Amino acid sequence: MNRRQRLGVALPAFIAFAVGLLTLFSLLMGGNPELYGFMEQPAVTAELVALPAAALVRLTALAIAFTVLIGLANLLYVHLERLARRRFYSLILLLSFAATMGWYMVSRGDTALLEAVQVPIESSLAALLFLSLMRGGATALKRRRDGWGFLFAAVMLTVLLATLPLAELAPLRPWREWLMTVPVSAGARAMLIGIALATVTAGLRALLGQDRSYRG
Amino acid sequence: MADTTLQVHSILLTAMTIALVYSVRFFRARRQRRRPQRRITSFESLPIWIGQAVESNRPLHLSLGGAAIGESSAVTALASAEFFYHLSLAVRSADVMPIISTSSTASIPLGQDTLRRARQSGQQAAPVHWHPQGERSLAYAAAVTSLLEAEDPAAHVLAGSFGSELALILENAHDRQQATLAVSDQLEGQAAAYALADEVLIGEELFAAAGYVAQDAAAQADAAVMDVWRILLILGLSLALLINGTQQLSITARALVLLAVLAGFIIGFLVYLRRR
Repeated sequence: MNRRQRLGVALPAFIAFAVGLLTLFSLLMGGNPELYGFMEQPAVTAELVALPAAALVRLTALAIAFTVLIGLANLLYVHLERLARRRFYSLILLLSFAATMGWYMVSRGDTALLEAVQVPIESSLAALLFLSLMRGGATALKRRRDGWGFLFAAVMLTVLLATLPLAELAPLRPWREWLMTVPVSAGARAMLIGIALATVTAGLRALLGQDRSYRG
Repeated sequence: MADTTLQVHSILLTAMTIALVYSVRFFRARRQRRRPQRRITSFESLPIWIGQAVESNRPLHLSLGGAAIGESSAVTALASAEFFYHLSLAVRSADVMPIISTSSTASIPLGQDTLRRARQSGQQAAPVHWHPQGERSLAYAAAVTSLLEAEDPAAHVLAGSFGSELALILENAHDRQQATLAVSDQLEGQAAAYALADEVLIGEELFAAAGYVAQDAAAQADAAVMDVWRILLILGLSLALLINGTQQLSITARALVLLAVLAGFIIGFLVYLRRR
């Protein structure tokens, strides 16, 4: 690696580190005058410290708004490339894209074409999703023939049956309530706490420029 | 909790995490014999799938779902991209590069950069597939199922932000006998992954994935830090529960409870040593 290439790797990492550290400091220390009680103008200092994070977050929001254009370009590129490989479903997508855009421009902002097609299709997919989830439950029992698989199926059946408005199934309702409020809620919280802790570590790695993506 | 207390706690948590990350990295680098990582069986199928992808000249399909830079799932997107980078490196001897798909426009540059870094010189990186639209996207799930037919991937690694629409993709992959590994930072997606995926990671295991796929000391150290935090949290919660519970008991009962807890810790430690 020559000197120029080394600089090309080091510079983005340095910029990421500096910006990350500044944002982290600004987010952690800014916006609260109580932390600067020992200074002459605590409110002004707190606002000044919070300023870099606010500015950078706003800049990020602006940059993200532009990625919609990248998305459109990507969609067209991918499907034109697939069309070149004789994947004719992509032609349908490209024609639909042109028709929707054309209609939107001609009718000055009318999204009726999009809604008339997409909403029914998404509703049908939602119905299909219900069947997929039911089949998933059955598959889970078939694949995991251990205690955990049996427990999963038993809980799923109890919850589903207790939801039905039948008087015969009323004794299951307290069980459903207990399952949802105690073990399910505890498990969900445990998982979310785990994700939150991991997010802190992974987020700090990114903010301190340790992520590999900054190293070229 | 007052704002100042919350802010001070956040500062302490951040400072402790930074200190832990750097000290674990330092001690792991100095140690001659590396301590093995905690076993996560779901990662054990990955080398087989990578081998199958290379031999059959079929791509791997890597999906970020709705994980997006600039949103609450930004760190999930970064962790998934790091995981995908190592997977892409492992299959780069094949003629076909992996396919990365996402339903967030903000993740397109991230996915493209991941493929660009992993490709060999002279190799053409495939474009990232973007299918609209955002979180819990049924349109995205439908588009990915068409991709399963068109590109015939050897396996799917679905790691990111998914809702229950993940079930559609997994069921379709299962019908086509394509292997799947799934994990989501949303509970609905995680439930669908547990029920339908061949291999499943649970929540935070995604953030440790890079350390398991690659022999990268820094990533392994970060995975160790997450384990340290989890152990500290479990100990802290258990201790708080114990103190709260024993306050209502007599002194003799408190002693008995403490003895039982001590015995529990010793048994737990012995089981841990035996498993290692």
